[in-house]
Amino acid sequence: MDLLIAKADAIQPLSKKRKSSHSTSGRSAGKARAASNSDFTLNTVVKHTSIPKSLQDSAPLPENGPSYKHIANKKLRTQLNRQSAQTARSQALVEDAEMLLLDEAGGLQVENDMDRTWRVGQTDILQSAGQEAAKGRREYKLDGGPYRSRYSRNGRHLAIAGRTGHVSTFDWQTGTVHAELQLQETCRDITFLQDHSFFAVAQKKYAFIYDRDGVEVHCLKGHIEPTRLEFLPYHWLLATVGNPGYLKYQDTSTGQLLVEHRTKMGACSTMTQNLHNAVIHLGHQNGCVTLWTPNLPHPAVQLLAHVGPVVSVAVDPSEGGRYMATSGRDGTVKVWDCRNWKGAVRDWTVRGGGDPELEWSARGYLAVASSGTVNIYNTPSIHTPFHVKTAPPLYMTHPIPHRPLTSVRFAPFQDILTVGHSNGLSSVIVPGSGEPNFDSREADPFENTKARREREVKALLDKIQPDLITLDPDMVGNLAPVSKLTTEVTTVNGKPRTDIPFARLPRIDRLRVSGKMDDTEENNEEEGEGGDEESKKHAKEEREKRKMRGKGKSMKRYLRKQRKNVIDPAAIAIRAKLERQKEEKRKAAAASAGNAEEKKPSALDRFTRTKQKH
Amino acid sequence: MVKISVLQHDPSMHLPMRPGDPTPMSRNLNPLMHPFARARERTRALNAAKMDRMFAKPFVASLEGHVDAVEVLCRKPDSLTTVASGSWDGGIILHDLVTRKPIAKLPQAHKGKVSGLCFSPDGERVLSCGVDRNVKLWSASGDSSSTETPLNVFPGKAVFNSVDHHRTDPLFATASNTVQIWDETKSAPISNLTFPTSTETITSVRFNMSESSVLASIGSDRTFTLYDIRTGKAERRVVMQMQSNSLAWSPTFPTTILLASEDHNLYTFDIRHLDAPTQIYKAHVAAVMSCDWSPTGLEFVSGGWDRTVRIWQEGKGRQPEVYHTKRMQRVTSTVFSADARFVLSGSDDGNVRIWKAKASDKLGVVTARERAAMEYRESLKDRWRVDSEVDRVARTRHLPKAVHQTNKLKNTMLEARRVKEERRRKHTRAGENKPKPERKKLVIAEQT
Repeated sequence: MDLLIAKADAIQPLSKKRKSSHSTSGRSAGKARAASNSDFTLNTVVKHTSIPKSLQDSAPLPENGPSYKHIANKKLRTQLNRQSAQTARSQALVEDAEMLLLDEAGGLQVENDMDRTWRVGQTDILQSAGQEAAKGRREYKLDGGPYRSRYSRNGRHLAIAGRTGHVSTFDWQTGTVHAELQLQETCRDITFLQDHSFFAVAQKKYAFIYDRDGVEVHCLKGHIEPTRLEFLPYHWLLATVGNPGYLKYQDTSTGQLLVEHRTKMGACSTMTQNLHNAVIHLGHQNGCVTLWTPNLPHPAVQLLAHVGPVVSVAVDPSEGGRYMATSGRDGTVKVWDCRNWKGAVRDWTVRGGGDPELEWSARGYLAVASSGTVNIYNTPSIHTPFHVKTAPPLYMTHPIPHRPLTSVRFAPFQDILTVGHSNGLSSVIVPGSGEPNFDSREADPFENTKARREREVKALLDKIQPDLITLDPDMVGNLAPVSKLTTEVTTVNGKPRTDIPFARLPRIDRLRVSGKMDDTEENNEEEGEGGDEESKKHAKEEREKRKMRGKGKSMKRYLRKQRKNVIDPAAIAIRAKLERQKEEKRKAAAASAGNAEEKKPSALDRFTRTKQKH
Repeated sequence: MVKISVLQHDPSMHLPMRPGDPTPMSRNLNPLMHPFARARERTRALNAAKMDRMFAKPFVASLEGHVDAVEVLCRKPDSLTTVASGSWDGGIILHDLVTRKPIAKLPQAHKGKVSGLCFSPDGERVLSCGVDRNVKLWSASGDSSSTETPLNVFPGKAVFNSVDHHRTDPLFATASNTVQIWDETKSAPISNLTFPTSTETITSVRFNMSESSVLASIGSDRTFTLYDIRTGKAERRVVMQMQSNSLAWSPTFPTTILLASEDHNLYTFDIRHLDAPTQIYKAHVAAVMSCDWSPTGLEFVSGGWDRTVRIWQEGKGRQPEVYHTKRMQRVTSTVFSADARFVLSGSDDGNVRIWKAKASDKLGVVTARERAAMEYRESLKDRWRVDSEVDRVARTRHLPKAVHQTNKLKNTMLEARRVKEERRRKHTRAGENKPKPERKKLVIAEQT
């Protein structure tokens, strides 16, 4: 028995007391460490199962990691610390992994100060570009009005829709046409769904979904006169907005019309999505830009961006959706910081006016197409605040003589910009605009059929619920903010009772804590209480008197019968009415006494007719 | 001059070299390339939790053969497949878990119930004891000739409640009104061990696995006693609030012992500090009748009067895995299999049931990809345990209505008791001292 205990003590200290005494009397460092690890079985096997020392993480942790000192639960705190250490280490490893990236981004580099990148034209670029890259410069001459276009997520396929009903989808690299349709009615927009196997077209009356071969699969009758379409790939939602001014979300995996928001701002023909938080940005006729999520019936943000109608909105994908650019019919372009809506970061007027179309590339190049030219600006200059309303330094420019220019799209993973206009489409090469390295798990331009199918199934399994769309995409998995509800409502012997959880409070306290207590009646009663004995007595008498007098009134009786801690809308309404009546009575009394209150001066006072005083 | 470089992808880097080759994967770990990474991972974790519940089919098989309640179960020391069960009808059956057929049947091993059963360390012989005041030694070889008569019979003076064999020596201990130590070759006990002032009935006795001369017993006097056969006397005794029904020594921590108590809880004690248990395990809604450690020492199984079998993580006192079926009655005996993958329970309805230790475990061959996917799902669940939705799916168990109602009633009673105590502390002088932690309330007296 004693032997067992002695042996056990020698092997492993189980209790805390013993552990501390052991470590303080530590002999050699190694032994102390072994002893401090309380799991004996672990100690015996750790030598044979742990990774070799050369492979263990030796890098010290960064100091500016999040601190979890405020968390009282020890287990949770340890776990959070361990997790943040893990995150820091894996981030360091990700930085290492950048070496393994295959391709390098393109670009234009000036060699002396007098050179300007915008002087370089497409012919110069074509001469120096590789054969494969030079294929990106194309002119599609098509009849059928101004064209809109959209690339699939992997940048391999292009969908185009002419105003008068010519719709086509094709693999632009190999030149394979998937579908070619003459719909013979107005087509306002086109978008691919999850990949090139389905696309949606905003037609004259409804939105339609076609499969890869151009067979009409669905007619979305809920979407009336749509003007713009957006597909949120991770939520499998098709968002449309149209002339009636409704923003509608359709779940394309279940077919359910998820929600429709009434914008209350009339017909809308400007929409874009923020790729990083799936928020929909709408531009309206009255100059407002609104940000929408499916779970809010009103805009999450409403911003008066322009004095005239907003004609184009674009969100910067290179900075995690931090910047937004808007353009108005008045020919101004504004860049906004989405974290801080106090005024535009930068704004300028485009030359020649017109409706400037905007698009932001994956590496942060902003294309502005207006009145026969496409201007491209690059990053640091368009993000830095500048007080003069001049255009930022130009990166590239390209004239297109076919007005109007209706859509601007950068091809993902390519240095290509496709501009839709009245005479078809033109693709121009913009060196440096495309993200060079794709991820096969997200979007792969070279994927085969099997990989596409696999990815579709995986994406469906990973479909995010639409109610998780918020302005802050990192909301999921973060610590909940500390609740503002405090249970410190009642005091015992002058000390607040802090240790009582919400669920155990009495009902009246629970109501008070959650802010649902209707305390109008109590306040009325407390009014009369004065400081000294005399006035108290007086107040009491007064109260008695009033109580007696009001007893007969049916309304008062009704109110008295209502329990004070029950929130009944009828009772609240009656109380409010009584309050109003009281106030009116008071005002009338004051007016009759001749000492009417002095009103605060307002801006409208200048229009009031002044009475002549006698 | 302006230096111009245009991005172009080399198809030879991204397309398979020959037809039939796998398409090369390219990765870019830039977080901007992976929007909603967290939200998608949470969806995967939620799916993992749901799949885990979907595949949770823990019941494997039922072994029949007894005509009355199964009182004891024990596993053969060096075998994965052999388990012996003893019943109230006096029969003993040796089960083979692979074929699910009996190896040997001893229909009339004892008159009245078989109260204790254990294998000898070499696994060749089985010791059984019963209420007919006999301990019998049987051959476990499985021949029909050898199973008809016992190899040896040790007559006693009182009803035996439990028997356990010494780890190495040919000694065994029995529990009756005292603890007796027997030699396999002698027909009378070689020593009697009692606590000096005790008059109780001993209900169970177990040898320590590491220090094999130490043994522990529990008695009807709400006691738990430790003995050493070398000194030949009781070393420590603990009197608790309620009687214990079963005890088990931890296979990996020699000083840890598990008690299944009548007060619906299980307790682990470190025998160096007998003043309080190291952990209370609360979930049963009726008395816990039996308990057994997994050979890994990380989890243990318990069976209760509430007709459920529960599997606990060592050190985690709440939310155990719970198994039940419509036809399973009061669970009187439970045992873990030697590979820690299965759990056996014997119940009042006379069946021995085999359960998986992990409810959603896949039996049969698991490919490497499948194994990787399972491990990924497991780690996802672990990581997103803090998410309320994931946690809810992972935690929720369907319970039989009776258990659910009892649980609700029990919670109401405990809550009322707690509120009463709170008020008493608030309004009397009892509130002046610190409240006593529940762990400290269990042990009434510690005697040496």
